[in-house]
Order: sequence, then structure tokens, then C-alpha cells
Amino acid sequence: MGSAITASCTIRRERCRGLQDGQPRISWLLDTEPMAGRQRRGVGGTEVSELSVPQLNRPQAKLWCCMEWNGTKQRVGMAEIRAGYPPGKPSNLSCLLDLGDYGLTCRWQQGADGHLPTNVMLKCAMSRSPAVTCCTPQNGHSQCTVPRRLLQLYRPMELWVTASNALGTAESERLRIDPMDVAKLDPPTLQSIHSVPPQTNCVTLTWALAPRNAHMELCCELRYRAAKDPTWDVVTGIAGHAGNVQHCKFLFGMLYHFQMRCRRDSARGYWSEWSVSRNYTTHE
Amino acid sequence: APLAELSGDHDFQLFLHKNLEFTRKIRGDVAALQRVVCDTFQLCTEEELQLVRPDPPLMQAPLDQCHKRGFQAEVCFGQIRAGLHSYHDSLGTVLQLLPEHTALVETLQLDAANLSSNIQQQMEDLGLDTVTLPAQQRSPPPAFSTRFQQQVGGFFILANFQRFLETAYRALRHLAR
Repeated sequence: MGSAITASCTIRRERCRGLQDGQPRISWLLDTEPMAGRQRRGVGGTEVSELSVPQLNRPQAKLWCCMEWNGTKQRVGMAEIRAGYPPGKPSNLSCLLDLGDYGLTCRWQQGADGHLPTNVMLKCAMSRSPAVTCCTPQNGHSQCTVPRRLLQLYRPMELWVTASNALGTAESERLRIDPMDVAKLDPPTLQSIHSVPPQTNCVTLTWALAPRNAHMELCCELRYRAAKDPTWDVVTGIAGHAGNVQHCKFLFGMLYHFQMRCRRDSARGYWSEWSVSRNYTTHE
Repeated sequence: APLAELSGDHDFQLFLHKNLEFTRKIRGDVAALQRVVCDTFQLCTEEELQLVRPDPPLMQAPLDQCHKRGFQAEVCFGQIRAGLHSYHDSLGTVLQLLPEHTALVETLQLDAANLSSNIQQQMEDLGLDTVTLPAQQRSPPPAFSTRFQQQVGGFFILANFQRFLETAYRALRHLAR
């Protein structure tokens, strides 16, 4: 886009016997805009017109070659012009593993529009294996899902986005992850809450991991707030095995709301949603 | 490097913890299929099936090198890989038995293949000798003459695989800190 274009249009005079003076006069239309070319005699009884457009600033145009005939402008040839830039670099690639079908859905931000038909693909490479195209976004979306059969669980793999058009290719940064480390977890379940040990300001909650996460090593956190208090207090670093968690310093005779969530122990782990809230009133 | 040295190696420990979790996942999926076989065919315990055990007995992948104290990671890992490979193929019987659970069985086969290649790649990282196992569908699943025998065969394949995974899990855990 923005660079110069040149075009030529060649007409055989023998095809123009119907003209009064047999002399074809060639003109141009860029979409609807008349353009003047330089016309000269060509070899083999032809007339040639050459056109130069110093700067084409539209991504799409039709260039018409026309000829004057009986006082009318006849369109005798056409070329479609596509103009643009090499694709912009995709960015912000992130992925999430669905523990239902173990599909890895990756999202990214598209680079600057190159104004040209662009092929976007998500590439994967397992360690010591050649890169493969693991999925292609549909309908211009900036996401796609890698099927389980193309994944290697519990081992790092590299993913990146490529965008290609007629003028070049751009690649995103490479994301190196173990798909299991970016699993979208189900929330845990708060099963029961008791004042234990009794007659103290301590509370013991029993909780369980969601069945689909039962085999996983997670870290969880608990949040609670008094019914009348909008701010939550958070207990962090709860080891990810189902069981009990005890916490103290609760006010007596107070209704509290409790929720829990978990995530993977890795830097890229995503938190699950908070569990269903569970209420408990401490004893007087 | 001798195993003692490896046990302190961060990458090796990360490998162990990840693949301990992976083994737990696979064991959970095998248990799910065992429940399906129990619910569908009322084949639930080995005690009740002593008289109809497949004869010749079904393949049971050897893990003897994973039992011994001070075992050789190379040999034990090699046995685990070979066993995963064999059970990957035997699961073909379960596929035929439980067509409506194809997705779970195929996931199990994929996981078994992944776990095997994880172990292979880790062995290569450690400079241990690895055996290149032939392409996945090397041997067809065992054949059975009656529908009932096929159901019993499917039951024992899953039971043997679960036992195999328990031993493999203990071996990996023995190495993990």
C-alpha cells in the first residue's frame, strides 16, 4: 500500500477496423477515476498504452483499460489490484486446557491488518519433533483448539501463531507450556463447616476436589467474610489434597460466607472459579 | 549418572512428580472403565472369575525390575514403557467391548502412549539407553471365541493394567522426593 504501480494495455489495430480513422484511443479508469496513460505504436500492428500511478492508497481497486468507440468509452480489459502490508505480529498468546475433552484452546491478539488475504495458523512442536500445524482459526477468529491427539501431556511443548499473506509472514512469541499446567480446573466443594475445637474462635472446614481434578497436585485458597462485611479475608497456601482446613479468629455468634478455589502449582496456572458459597454461623 | 545422584536433579524430580500425577490420572480412567464393565456385564471382582480366567492367560507386562530394592532406573523404565505399549494394544479388546465408551478408551490409549514417550524422552535426557518400540498398533488385541469370554477378557485386561499401573506408580514414587 502506498507504493507506485505501472500497467500496460495492448490493443491490435486489426481489431479496430470499425473505427472511423482506425486509430484506437486508449484510456484508463481506476475504479471510477479517469487516468491518463502514454500511448504509443507497438510491434506487430498494436497500440500500447502505459500507465503509472505514483501512489496507490487503497487496499482494493479495479483498473480498467478502455477504448473510445463511436463516441462511447468501451471497457476492453480489467485488472484487480490488491494492496497492503506484510501481516502484523500476533501477540498475547495464551492457552487453556479443557478437562472435559482435553482440547487446548489458544487465544491471541491479531497483528496489524495487512489488508490482504491472510493465512493464520497455530503451530505446535513437541520436544524433538518437527513443528506441525495444530489448528487453524475459523471465520477470522483469533483462537482455535488443539485436539487431544496432537498434545503431549505432562511434557513441555512449544506453541506459536503464524500469519502469512502475499507480502510476508509474521510469527508470535513462542509459548512453552505443559498443557496440564494450563488446565481450567473445576471449583472444589465445601462439604461441611464446624466449630472445632469447640468453644473456640476456630472453624474447621472439610472440602473435596472436583472428581476430574482428583489426581492433580493443586494449591488452593479459602476466602470468608462476615455476612454484613463486603470485604473478604483470604487464607492462602492450602495444599491441594482434599481434607480439612482449620482457621481461627472468628467472631462469636456471627454468620459467615465461605468459598474456596484451586489452581495448578505452576506459574501459568489458572484459578478455578470460586466454589459454591457455604454459610456458617459461629456459636455464641 | 548413578540413580542416587539423579534423585536430587530438579528436572528429574519435576519429571517424576508430573508423571506420578499422569499415572494417577490413567489409573482413575482405568478405574472408571472397570466400573463400566462391572455395571454393564456384572463382572466386578477377580474372585468370582477364577474358573473362567482366560487360558492361555492374557499378557501381563513384567515389572520385576521395578520391585527390587536399588533397582536400575533404565531397566525398570524400559519395562514400564514396554508394558504401556502392550496394554495400549490390548485396550483394543475393550474398545470392541465398550463401543459407547470409545472416547474414554482412546483417551486411555493416547495417555499410555504419552506416558511412554515422556519416559523415553526423560531417559534420553538422562543419557540412559532406550529401546525404540515399534509403531503403536503393533499387535492386534487378543481374540475370544464367545461374547462372554470377550467380556471376561476385557475385565482381566483392565485388572492387569490397573495392577501394572500401581507397581509403576510405586516405582516412580520410590524415586521422587
